[in-house]
Amino acid sequence: MRAPLHRNKPVLILAVFMFVIMLMTACGNANTGDAESSSASSNSANSSSSSSPAADPSQAASSASSVPEETVEQLYEQAKQEGKLVVYSTSGRANDAAETFMKHYPGIKVEVSKVKSDEMMDKVTKEQDAGQFDPDVILTKEVSGAVEEEMVKPGRYVRYLPEDIAPKVDEPYRTEAEAYANYVEFRTIFYNSSHYSTAPVTNWWDLITPEFKGKVYTADPLSSPAFMDLFTTMVINSDDMAAAYKEKFGQDIELHGTENAGYEFIKQLFENGLVVLKGSDDVLDAIGKANSDAVGLAVSGDVSKNEEKGWTIQPILDIKPKTAVPDSGYLFLANKAPHEAAAKLFIRWMMGEVDGKGEGLNPFNELGSWVPRSDVETKNDMQFEDLNLWAFDGEALYNTAPKVRDFWIKQK
Amino acid sequence: MTTKAKPINKTSRLYNRTFNWLRNPVQMIGIAALLLLFYTIVWPVLEMLYTTFVWRQQDMRLTAEAQPGHLTFYHWVRVLASDMSASLFYEPVLHSLAVGFAVSAISMVLGCGLAWLVTRTDIPFKKIIAFLAVIPYLLPSWVLSQAWLTFFKNQKIGGTPGIMQSLFHISPPDWLSYGFVPIVLSLSAHDSVYFFLIVGAALSSMNSQLEEAAGMAGAGRLTILRRIVFPLVIPSMLSGFILIFTKAISSYGVPALLGTPVNFDMISTMLYSSMRSRLTTEANVLSLLLIVICMAAIFLNQRIIGRRRSYVTVTGKASARTLTALGRWRRPAAGMILVLMVLIAIIPLVVLLVQTFMLKEGVYSFSNLSMHYWWGGSDPDINTGEKGVLQNPIFSLAFKNSLLLSGIASVIAAVIGLALGYVVARGKQSWVGRAVDQISFLPYLIPGISLAAIYISMFAKPTLLIPALYGSMSLLILITIVKELPFTVKAGSAAVMQIGQELEEAAQISGASWFTRFRRILMPLNRKSLVSVFLLVFIGAMKEMELIIMLVTPRTETLTTLTFYYAEKGYEQLTNVILMIIIAIVMAVYLLSVKFGKADLTQGIGGS
Repeated sequence: MRAPLHRNKPVLILAVFMFVIMLMTACGNANTGDAESSSASSNSANSSSSSSPAADPSQAASSASSVPEETVEQLYEQAKQEGKLVVYSTSGRANDAAETFMKHYPGIKVEVSKVKSDEMMDKVTKEQDAGQFDPDVILTKEVSGAVEEEMVKPGRYVRYLPEDIAPKVDEPYRTEAEAYANYVEFRTIFYNSSHYSTAPVTNWWDLITPEFKGKVYTADPLSSPAFMDLFTTMVINSDDMAAAYKEKFGQDIELHGTENAGYEFIKQLFENGLVVLKGSDDVLDAIGKANSDAVGLAVSGDVSKNEEKGWTIQPILDIKPKTAVPDSGYLFLANKAPHEAAAKLFIRWMMGEVDGKGEGLNPFNELGSWVPRSDVETKNDMQFEDLNLWAFDGEALYNTAPKVRDFWIKQK
Repeated sequence: MTTKAKPINKTSRLYNRTFNWLRNPVQMIGIAALLLLFYTIVWPVLEMLYTTFVWRQQDMRLTAEAQPGHLTFYHWVRVLASDMSASLFYEPVLHSLAVGFAVSAISMVLGCGLAWLVTRTDIPFKKIIAFLAVIPYLLPSWVLSQAWLTFFKNQKIGGTPGIMQSLFHISPPDWLSYGFVPIVLSLSAHDSVYFFLIVGAALSSMNSQLEEAAGMAGAGRLTILRRIVFPLVIPSMLSGFILIFTKAISSYGVPALLGTPVNFDMISTMLYSSMRSRLTTEANVLSLLLIVICMAAIFLNQRIIGRRRSYVTVTGKASARTLTALGRWRRPAAGMILVLMVLIAIIPLVVLLVQTFMLKEGVYSFSNLSMHYWWGGSDPDINTGEKGVLQNPIFSLAFKNSLLLSGIASVIAAVIGLALGYVVARGKQSWVGRAVDQISFLPYLIPGISLAAIYISMFAKPTLLIPALYGSMSLLILITIVKELPFTVKAGSAAVMQIGQELEEAAQISGASWFTRFRRILMPLNRKSLVSVFLLVFIGAMKEMELIIMLVTPRTETLTTLTFYYAEKGYEQLTNVILMIIIAIVMAVYLLSVKFGKADLTQGIGGS
């Protein structure tokens, strides 16, 4: 009755099914409790307890923090032995750099995984706690200081700055920041340059004036920590915000049940009809597609998409009291990187090598993003050191961000 | 059985003896299933639960009283009974419930109506309708919400005005453009295919003699529907209702896109936000609450089904089927449905396809047409030199991986679903059956990201007989199967409930073992349901992203992770090219299973 075509299929499926049944009975046995099972459950208990981030800070931290000087040739020789390397990156720019790298250093294959910064933290933490060391190079953005607190301090991500390149690196990335950042962006106010000939906003408090009622867009800080970091930084530096208020309105700020000028700014922004959209691109679509008098908060680097997306948007690079807080794309070696030499070689490549002219730097040196090296010329009108940015205070952000998030949620 | 080294015949003898001893396959398979479920689902949930009672290092950020490692109720109090609770939990939960119920109700009306028309009436163009009905599901649901915005966008979110605004100069009100209404409608358009397939399979396996008998006895058409058809399909309908309810309240993409402009939060968006802000414990509390809500829904579902008799309509006897004649409504009905389907299925698809050929977005001229994104080389002026998809070596890897993942996972999932569904359907009176039913539903409620995070630590190193799966396709396959269990088991049990136990009993008397019965009776009779399940899991796996993104390593990259990469870089055309390829694969598989699986949704099981 059945068509012959199907005669074998169920048998095959059944075989698979039986295998699964056997597998589950087997692991079931183990779980029901004898000597073996107790070791199993203690294993998993171990892994779950050690998944708390600061569990074993000592063991990893020392492994690569002092960088012995290797020449590029030595690294390349070793790297060829290793044959490949694995990169976890929050940015697709790593992919572009990988392509040129493989041409320049044949024999080494670069595998790039794109992962969001917070997921990357979970992934690497779990992997390393379980004794798996997969990535060699980490290219990541911060998550409100969590990368520093949970990954760098415990030694999961390892600082790497070659001695021959270090002298050319701008502060804070030479000695003060958690690592060298290959590019720096920030969140700032964008306007439509076909509507306004000059920046319509010079002070953050301009956004709460009637002129911009219902005309300020932002990407949702609740789903994008980097946007929250900007607001959190305003709360941390509330004195700056209060001073800017006085400069704008000529009188001291009056707090309406909020703790300080930073919170007050968020509150008044909401009262002025702030529109929250999902992502940075949505914001720029909102103000950039038609002739619009609205302004929006987006990532400085997005200015490079103008051509492609048909926008006419410009970022404002000087706002009072400070333009923004830097959002850095950090480069790290991963703890116990399995292909360490290749990893170092690739990081050097992305840095643009000793002279800062290497091709690997190109994807990072773009309009709207800055390479913090004194010997690299920026494509932007403003030099990196002239940017008026708040200092990135990872620890303060880490501790304040949840409170600001709560405050934000309550405004809705 | 305990040691693997023993010769096979001994093992199998032991197996046979165990079978004879247990006698009832429901118990045997049920217990095996429970062990598997315990390991793959309950254990992760317990681990999650445990974390909510312990202070973590990160909690020092929230309050000064945190003592890492010590026990606390802080997280539960914070979510349920603090000054944050209203905005963090209660308001979002009301939104979620409202969306869940509305989406289920609308999908039910759409899906069941369509299923009835296609399986039980003489409506023309059945094959086309059945084919079109599946299309919205092939698109990621956010594509439908994007299409919604294209039409109904108002001035609130700026940018190019929506079509309605440009054409009629009417600014749609906020409630029509954003929030509840569009979220419900786009989710319904996307999810009603579940109803269509589940209820369609149940309807077409129903013997039409019942209806004929009633008709001869003088019952009107509505009476037949109400008194005969409806009671028969109610188990599948309730399954569908629960499925879509839970799917809707845990969906993220659509509410994020359409809800944020009007501050419409759901539990899922709050949960995502907690995750991204590294408030993992808060996220876990929210997931667990989501689980509780859905458990309550399942409980209600069982109360309702439990009170009804289950009707047996498939007896293994072939019967001719007569279709309800629609009379003069035949053509208008078909026409209306086709128009509706073209609107929600074809138009978004065509828009996406056209975009892949446009060198520049939004420029509508012939000179702008290009195959660049399909097989162009590297051009530094376009997408910073990213090559056309078909030229890109990553693509072939991702393509292979996607096919492997979806193919294997969906076959295994369909069979496991039927086996566990058997336990649920036949073991309704025993605790084993009920437990399998409850537990197999959990995976829908654990957000993909949390499940993946737990799976990394569970499978990163060898445990007992299970090797280190991390970094392999097996882990992706496993998690896909587990994540789809709620659907596969529901569909399986709904299908088994339609099949008379006498068939099995007869086979048993003739000495057929359970596996033989499963293979020779249950699998063939449920072929349609199996193939439907296979298809839906296949489609789901082809599109799945949130679940696997954390588990993917460069060697296990899939097509969806590639779209993610392109989408993040803003390469819309490249994203669309891959979407088109995914859709093409799914359609090919769909057509193949219709042709070779004989799984025509428009034909009944008995009507061969």
